[in-house]
Order: sequence, then C-alpha cells, then structure tokens
Amino acid sequence: MRMDLVLELLDVPGQLVSVIDPIGGLGANLVTIIHQRDIKNQKGLIPVQLTLEGERENLKKVIEKFKELNISILKIDGKVQKEKISTILIGHIVDNDIRDSMDKINEIDGAYVSGFNIKLDGEDKSSALINIEADFGKKNLIFKRIKEIALQKDLLMINEV
Amino acid sequence: MKNYKICIIGFGAVGKGVVESIFLKKEMIKQEYDAELKIVAVGDSSSSAISDDGLDERLLIETKETKGNLSDYPEFGGNLDGKDILDKIDYDILIEVTPTNIETGEPGKSLILKAFEDGKDVVTSNKGHLAINYKELVVSAQKNNVQFKFEATVAGAMPIINFAQETLNSCNIESIIGILNGTTNYILSRMTSEGSSYINTLNESQELGIAETDPTQDVEGIDAACKTVILANSILNIDATYSDVDVTGISDITSEAIDLAKKDGYLIKLIGEVSKKSLKVSPRLVKQGSAYDLNGTLNMATLKTDLAGDVTVVGKGAGSLETASSILTDLINIIRLK
Repeated sequence: MRMDLVLELLDVPGQLVSVIDPIGGLGANLVTIIHQRDIKNQKGLIPVQLTLEGERENLKKVIEKFKELNISILKIDGKVQKEKISTILIGHIVDNDIRDSMDKINEIDGAYVSGFNIKLDGEDKSSALINIEADFGKKNLIFKRIKEIALQKDLLMINEV
Repeated sequence: MKNYKICIIGFGAVGKGVVESIFLKKEMIKQEYDAELKIVAVGDSSSSAISDDGLDERLLIETKETKGNLSDYPEFGGNLDGKDILDKIDYDILIEVTPTNIETGEPGKSLILKAFEDGKDVVTSNKGHLAINYKELVVSAQKNNVQFKFEATVAGAMPIINFAQETLNSCNIESIIGILNGTTNYILSRMTSEGSSYINTLNESQELGIAETDPTQDVEGIDAACKTVILANSILNIDATYSDVDVTGISDITSEAIDLAKKDGYLIKLIGEVSKKSLKVSPRLVKQGSAYDLNGTLNMATLKTDLAGDVTVVGKGAGSLETASSILTDLINIIRLK
C-alpha cells in the first residue's frame, strides 16, 4: 500500500537525511519526495511531501519512528493530524463565567476543548486542567488566546514548556 | 611561578567557600598552572583582614565562625570597608561575593567598577548589578582591558556561561529554557511528592534552611529572573535588564493544580526562558520523564542550538563550596589567559 505524508522540518543541515534514513531499514520504500528548501511556512519550517510504499505494519513503524524523532507530521493521506495541548488555570474560574472561557477557546479555528477537570478548594481559588486538541502549528496561537482570557479574568495560566 | 594576590569582598557562605576552595586547590593550581594564589585581603560588611604577605585560609574561616567577624583576625584584623580595602591593598584579582541587591546593585557594583578602573580582573557571584547594569559593567571591563567573569551568578556549580561561550562556540544558541532556582524546585518537588499545600511546604523548607526567612526573592521568581537576564546578555547577546523580564512566581500554585498536572503526565516547575522572542520566568507544565523532571534543589538548563541540537546541563544551583567551584574555575581561566 501507499501512504502520503506531509512533514515539516527545520532548515538545518541533516534534517532531510534524518527523515529518509530510517525508511528503508523499516521495510518501506520511498516513492516520491518534494522538498523545496526555499519555501517555508509561517513558523519558518520547510514542508516536505513524501509518498511511501510498503506493508501496512512497516508504514506504521515509519510513522512511529518519525514521532520518536520529534518530526512534525502535518498530514497522513490528506488527513490533518492533531496535537494535544494542556494548560492549567488557577483562580476564581467558576465565578468568572467558565462557560464563556470554554466558548472562547472553542471559537479558535482548528481547536476544541477535549477535556476539562476542575478542583475546587472551598471558597478559595480553584484549579482547572484544560486539554485541547488542535491542528498542528496552532499551539502558540491557542496559548496567546488563553492568556488573553486569563488576563481578563485575573487567572494564573500555566503553559507547557 | 607567577604570584596572584587575591582580594575577596563578601565573607558569607560563598566567600567562605571561596577561601576553603583556594585552600583545597592551591597545590593543584601551583602544579598545573604554575601559579601561586595568595589571599591578601578579605572584607565583610563590618570588618576586614589584610596582609600583603597573605592570610591563612583556615584561620580566616575559624575567626569568622568563632568571633563572628574578621576584625579579630590575629595581627591583621581591622574594620575597613570594601572600598577602603581596595584603596589600601595591592592586589591582582578581586573576588566580589557581596549579597545580591536587585534595587541598586550596591555595594558590589561600585567595588567592581573601581577594580576595573584600577586595572584589576574581577570574578563575581553577585547577580544584582549584572541584572540591572550588565552592559555598563561589561563595557567598563572592556574599556579598562581587564577580565570579568561571572559563571557563579547563574545556577551555582552548574556550568552554563563558560560552557555556552567556550565549549559550544561553534553553535548559535537560539534559546535557553531551564530550572534556575533550587529553592522553588525543592518546594514544587515536595508539593508533588507529598500533596502538601504551598504554605506548609514553604514553612518546612524554611525550617530545613533551604528557603530563606524572607523567601520573596526565590518564590516570586526574582532570583530566577536575574539569572535569565544574565544568560540573555552573556549567551544570546540580548541587551536586556531585569525590568524586561516577565516574572511570575510560585506562591499562587495550589496542590490541586499539581495533582491535576500529575494525572495528565505533567509536573509544574518554575521555568526561566530566554530567547529573542521571550524573556520570562513562570510556572510551566513539563512532561514527566523529560529533562525538566528534576527533583530537589538541582538546577538544569536546555540550550537549543543550531548545530548540536538540544544540549542539557544539570548541577547543584547553590551551596558554599559548589558555588565557589565556579568562582575558582573563573579564577583559573583568568590565570590561564595571563
């Protein structure tokens, strides 16, 4: 079977080699590769299109290897890949219209709240963990938006490194 | 054999560590670098000991510990302040280890500038003046053609400034992200393992002597912010000062937040971040099992480089002899270049 991938790579020597290198060893063949070094996306990364051929199991191994190497996979067979983002808010979350906060995150294109867990401490400040699923590359935009909400509602926001 | 006359201003935990480390390593320095170190003056906030022929390292520590000051140092004790010591004594290298003052940078700043103008090399562990006057100090050192070293200002014994400037000199360093304060790392680690509240853990840390009686500088992120500024200037060449850092401390962190993070595979750490885009100190989520998953008072930093990828260093961020080890490294580097 064949599989189309869109990856994004840093513009540093050796990046493309690190992608191509494991393919053969995992029992897959490289059919086509489109790598235009002078075309970068908004994040300054280079999108690379690959078509691979091989047994389903071997193609799965290649995907796992790419993830292990921290290579961003934007699309598999045309399907946009999602990333999970977590953030914690501390403060008067419930009193500050919790529904409105969630709606504002869900309004971001390509992002939705997939998990919400809140712990209350009596009358004191509460703590909430928010899980968000988002299209690759949206992380900074989402953090910026949540920061705006946190500032507006006087909440402490704890982001991923 | 070259002789180097050392003047030490500041005789608290770090100052005593410097004297002790010179005592422990002077023979090695003699053999390896053909240099003899002689401590000719030591001063603290209210007393001094000065002798052109050199002071005895062990006697300095003993006098301070038993009498509480240096004026009782046999024969050579006195009450000169830092500036008067620098005027009175002939020395080659100043080791400035006075306490950090984030308001004015004094008295360290004036002492260092005077040493530069007198043509002396300086090693410091003091963050205050560098966090608010980095450029002024570095420019003055260059103008006076003297060496100025401050490895000990960031994360005690953990090598980072010299490491980045000398060992990673083939690389462009894009960012530094790390745990730069041991006290807060201890508090957050204990809150994670014990499920205890912030205030109870802080009290316990104070009883153990890990947190200061006034913990503000640590828990409000001020100490980590000073280090962030020093890294920004010295490694990433960012002309920044303390007021440019976006600082949030850990005093609002709840045990509930830590528990929620834990269940989702994360830990909460006070993280300093230095890049051209961001200069901040704030509590952040880090993955369990990642390089940031470090307990106790340890410090760490990951340097993102263009050629070498991510390089992580870990080490003790505080302690008398540990911090003195970085000062002695700077001292040896000065001697090697002379």
